[in-house]
This record gives sequence, structure tokens and C-alpha cells, in this order.
Amino acid sequence: MTDRSGLTEAELAAELRAFLAEHHPGRAPKDPGERLAFLQAWQATLFDHGWAGPGWPPRWGGMGLPLPLQAVYHREMAAGRAPVPPNNIGGIVGPTILTCGTDEQRARWIPPLLRADELWCQGFSEPDAGSDLTSLRTRAVRDGDVYRVTGRKVWISGAVHADWMLCLTRTGSQESGAAGITCLALDMHAPGVRASRLRDMTGGAHFAEVEFDDVEVPVSHRIGAENEGWAAARATMGHERSTSLAASGMRYQRVTRDLLDLARRRGQADDPHVRDRLAQAVTGARLLEWSGQRVLARVLEGGEPGPLASVIRLQHGVFEQQLHTLAVDLLGPYAQLDAADPALASGERHDGNWLRGFLRTRASTIGAGTSEIQRTTIADKVLGLPPEAGNSRSTR
Amino acid sequence: MTGTFAFTAEHEALRNTVRRFLTERSPETEVRRLMETADGYDPTVWSLMANQIGLQGLALPEKYGGSGAGFVDLQIVLEEMGRALLCAPFLSSVVLAANALLTSGDEAACAEYLPGIAEGTTIATLAVTEASGSWRADDVTVTADAQYRLTGEKLFVLDGHVADLLLVVARTAAGPTLFAVDAGAEGVAREPLGTLDATRKQARLVLDQTPARLIGEDGGAAGPLERTLDLAAAALAAEQAGGARRTLEMAVEYAKVREQFGRPIGSFQAIKHKCADMLLEVESSTSAAYAVGWAVDAGSVEVPVLAPLAKAYCSEAYTHCAAENIQIHGGIGFTWEHPAHLYFKRAKSTEILFGNPRQHRALLADRLGI
Repeated sequence: MTDRSGLTEAELAAELRAFLAEHHPGRAPKDPGERLAFLQAWQATLFDHGWAGPGWPPRWGGMGLPLPLQAVYHREMAAGRAPVPPNNIGGIVGPTILTCGTDEQRARWIPPLLRADELWCQGFSEPDAGSDLTSLRTRAVRDGDVYRVTGRKVWISGAVHADWMLCLTRTGSQESGAAGITCLALDMHAPGVRASRLRDMTGGAHFAEVEFDDVEVPVSHRIGAENEGWAAARATMGHERSTSLAASGMRYQRVTRDLLDLARRRGQADDPHVRDRLAQAVTGARLLEWSGQRVLARVLEGGEPGPLASVIRLQHGVFEQQLHTLAVDLLGPYAQLDAADPALASGERHDGNWLRGFLRTRASTIGAGTSEIQRTTIADKVLGLPPEAGNSRSTR
Repeated sequence: MTGTFAFTAEHEALRNTVRRFLTERSPETEVRRLMETADGYDPTVWSLMANQIGLQGLALPEKYGGSGAGFVDLQIVLEEMGRALLCAPFLSSVVLAANALLTSGDEAACAEYLPGIAEGTTIATLAVTEASGSWRADDVTVTADAQYRLTGEKLFVLDGHVADLLLVVARTAAGPTLFAVDAGAEGVAREPLGTLDATRKQARLVLDQTPARLIGEDGGAAGPLERTLDLAAAALAAEQAGGARRTLEMAVEYAKVREQFGRPIGSFQAIKHKCADMLLEVESSTSAAYAVGWAVDAGSVEVPVLAPLAKAYCSEAYTHCAAENIQIHGGIGFTWEHPAHLYFKRAKSTEILFGNPRQHRALLADRLGI
């Protein structure tokens, strides 16, 4: 495998640009099934050429790039409009296994994860738990060499296609809160697992509901110690993957340029009100990029990501909604159509994507903790305000 | 953009020095005393700033008596001044006037005036706006005749009542032109205005056949003025970020100790969420302000885009934070004795200064080629 960790920023950027020029697979197809196969193939191409997992250890197939080069990597990928890898690659599954797993577990799961040969999902949310993950009820009972898992997860992205789930289970008493949670790698093909699609408001079925009926999970598939799964999950959730943050700002600058294009095509670029909102959208994208850079600068100095890292997710959700709301306003009467209607979906621009994004980003301020939960977390953890009355668990 | 937002130990040392100085020399009692005076600043503190820590000359070129530090250093100073609500003609003299001279390209004028500004012995200001409030060179109506005698009225001139040197944009046959006017020159009348933000004074200037010195090219003020205002907007954005951060700190400190219904108000979700949103705006303001600062120091072509972006964002963020600070303080926040209103007035006033957020976003859209 090519070791690129010693390259200069310019060299890495040049190599990556050359790679993309040769191997860029084009735009991902719209059809969900085709799309997943396309992204898996793309991820395999990345892996096979040594371009997967910029920050992950080379021992398990990653690139082992130092932080500044990781930032360059993400920036170039975004600038080159490279397809975004399938859902689980950038998620918290890999970091959790890398941080809390054993070497056997790392060797077993990380390379196929990084090549997208095996797909993972994150089994956190439950029907009654919502943002309060510590109230989860999916139970795992130790029985010799296995845990027997029974319960139900909901809003699980990509669960229908997943081979594995990083599953948070209750091993302690129901009152044990965060202290009784164990993290398991659960085989989605095992007997007793049933995943059913959950259609969301966009009409798509990205999420699934997953039921476990006495599913056997080998004890050797436990990530970290029993009853310490919460710490494992939280440690990796806290990692906002600072190097990729800069890239998401970069990606939004690109999306903002598309938005300016849309305004021109719709003949609204001269309207002062539209121009004001476009300028606000540009500002929002820049702010996200700078927030990412500031976190990166702090991390590069060896410090903690600091308050800004907590702020970025909040910033993200709100910005994504503003951006797509403006786009839909620009679509005018066409915003009354279904995203897939030929009048929107035809042509290179796929204006239906704006509409799809408009609906999808309603989840931006809900998923992985609502904006309200994030605000409360920021107030408590960053600003040090006293906890809410009746919420003494203070788990986040 | 390598190096952006990577503050050095020198930056931190500068910040600490300025903060210590302002804590000692510009506490709230002094701010309140000075805002009631006609001049609006303390000459002793002003000269200490120049002689003891060299703030006026910090970012001015060494050949003109300055220390040649970067724009980011200047922003750090302004951020601290914004926190402390310092009453002093720093923005007018060191940011506006000095940059008007520097961007004019008139070396003789720079050599003559900048050392005095750097030493704090000359207080200068830039007079652009008139009754319309516009900062655009095109909108200037004060005229200069063939002998460069100026006639007309300037309004909203920062510290115009105490400045020794008035840099005035006036219209000649060739177009908008920059002139230097001695405050004591014949035909100059100066009148302080009552200001919303009493911590920063403004004046009306009436010029009647006032003799003036040409700075730069006859008819060539538009370009340098635009550059000067971009720099001033970037500097003011840092001041706004500093003020906004202070209002957040005040709000959080108070929310931790003030009890209602038997518990600290900071334990109520409504207050928590306000504070979290303020933090988001404060951090974003800091990012926006310093992104321009670093672009200025790097000689980036992006400055004209980033300056209005930062000014628009920081303006609205500061006003919002200052307003929320009053709200979180409740009744006490509405009293004259509490400093919350001083920040609120500074915020609203600076939101309008150099053009309001909507105007800056229009400028941003223009410069992006939208």
C-alpha cells in the first residue's frame, strides 16, 4: 500500500487530483439500490488505491495521514465532487472499534468496513428513547458464550442493507441509565433479526425499524467491557471528526454556487431580497468552513476541539434548512411538484434534488439529538449552566 | 489559507497586555465618566496607550513610526477594546484615517501625518458621510474648487470634534478626491452630535472655503476609499466580536447566580437555549472577523468579499447578543445603572456604521458576481 503520510500538502493534493481525474466514477445514480452498489464500488476503488480512511491506521487499511493532510484530503475530495462514501464509512462504527475494540476485532471488521465490502449500521435509537439514549431498553442477557438480545431499534439508517450493527444494549437494570449499557457488534443476518423499511417524509426508505427476537451474539463480539458501552459510544460520538468538518464547509460552498446558478436560471438573481438571502447562504457556508478550520487549528496544536466543535452540529442543521428553503423558494411554482416529476428531475441539474433536500433536511435538526438537545448540551457542558430541574442524569 | 486561526504566543501575549491595560484604565466607571464628557476620551489614557504599549502605532509601517505588526494584531486590540467599551478615538484615527492615508499612496502625506498618529499626538479622522449617511465616494457632495478650498457639510464624522487632522472626501472637477484639512483651518466649524452610543462620539463639520491639501490623485479617492472601508469594516467586525463575547459572558455569569422560582434561571431550558445560540453567534463572529484579518495579512484577493460578509454577520450577531443579554438580566438589564444597555447601544450603532448589514450583503452579492 502506498504510504502518503510523508507527502507535502501540495503533493498530496496533486496526487489526489490526478487519481480523481483518472478514476472519478461520475454522478451517483438516483435509484437507491443502484446507488448503494455504485458507492460500494467507489469505496472499493478508493481502498484498492490506498485512498480510503485518511485518518485511520495503515495497519487496518487506512492512510494514517497526519491531521493537516487529512484536511487536504477532505478538501480535495469535496472540491473534486467525489461521491461521498456509503453511510457507515465516516460514521462512528469504525472509530469505536478502533478505539475500544481488540486487535482481533479490528483485524476482522475494519478492512472490510473500509472497503465497504461489509456494511454497518448504528443501532442507537429506540422507539421510546428519542434523544435520551440512556433510557434504551433493548436487552442483552449473558448466556455462557453468548448474549441473547431482545428488543427494538428504530430510525436506523441503512439497516436493511447492513451486514453488521453496532448495537447499544441494556445489560444492567432498567434504572442503571448510562451505567448499564453494553456495546455489541451484531450480525444482521443472524436468526431473530428482522429489519423492515420505514418510509420517511421524503418518500424514501433510508431508515429501518429493526426487531431482535432472542438473537445470539458471541461474547467475543462485545466492543469494550460489559456495562461500559455508553462510554465507548460517547467517546466516539464526541469526536466530531474535526478534519472532515472543513470539508463539509467546502462542500456547502459548492452547493451554494449551485444555488447561485439556480437563482440565475430562474431569473431571480436581480431581486434584492433574493440577493440578500443568497449572500446569507454564502455567509453560512463560509462560517461552517471557518468553524471547521478553527477546530482543526486547535486540534493541530494538540488541544481539545473546544466549544466550537459542539456548536458546529447545531450550525449545520440550521444552515442546511435555510439553504434548501431558499432553493425551494427559487423553484417557484415548480416547488409544488414531486421531486421525481420530469419537469424537475430531467436535465443535468436535477432540480428535484433541491426539493428532496428541502424535505430531507427537516431531519437535520432532529437526527442524532435534536437541536434543542444540542443547545442544552452546549449550555451545560460548554457554558457551565446549572442542570435542568428533574434532569439529574446529565448523560450527554 | 494555511495558518488561518492559528494564533501564536505573541498574539496571546498582546491580548493579555491589552486586556490588563483596559481592565485597569477603562473599567465601567471610567466608561461612564467619559461618555458624559464632551471630548469623550481621556488624553492621559490615550497617551499611555501610545507610549506604554504602542497601540496606535502597532500595525502601522515602521518607516512611518509604527511597529509594523499585522492586521490580525490590530484586530486583537480592537476585540479587547470592544469588550471594554473603551472610549477613545482609536477607530477613527488609527483605523480609518491611517488607512485612508496608506491606501492613498501619497508617500509625502504618509510621512508627514502617520508618525503623529502612531505616537498618539495627532488624532485624525475620515470625513466621508453627509446627510444621506452614505459611505460611497459617488455620493459625496462637498465640493473643492480649483484652489482646493472645500465647501459643504459632513455628518456622522467619528470623533470629528476632537480630531486635529480631518481627512475629507470632496468632489473636484476630476471626481471624488481626498483632502487633508487642519482642524484649526479657516472656515471649519465643528459641532458634536448627540449619539445613541455615548461611548463613541460623532460630529458635524461645516466647511466654508476651507483651504485643504490634496492627498493622492485629484479625482482618485474612490478606489482607496473602498479599500479603507473594507479594512475598517474588518476591524470593526473584530470589535463587534469582542463586544458580543462580553455580553455572552455577562449573561452566563448572571444566569448561574440569579434565582427565580427557587432555582438558578440558567437551569431553565429557555435561558440555556438563548445562551447556546449566543455562543454560536459569538464563535461565528470571531471566525468571520479573523478570516478577513488573515486574508488581509496574506494579501488575499478575497478581502473585498470577506470584509462585507464579516461586517454584516458580526453586526447582526452583536446586536442580537446584546439584546438577549438585556432579556436574560430581566428588570435589572433595563436599568441605566447596568452596563447591558451600553453594549446594546454600541452594538446597534456599529451595526449601522459604515453601512448596515443589508447594504453589506448587497455589496457581498455584487462582489461575488451574483
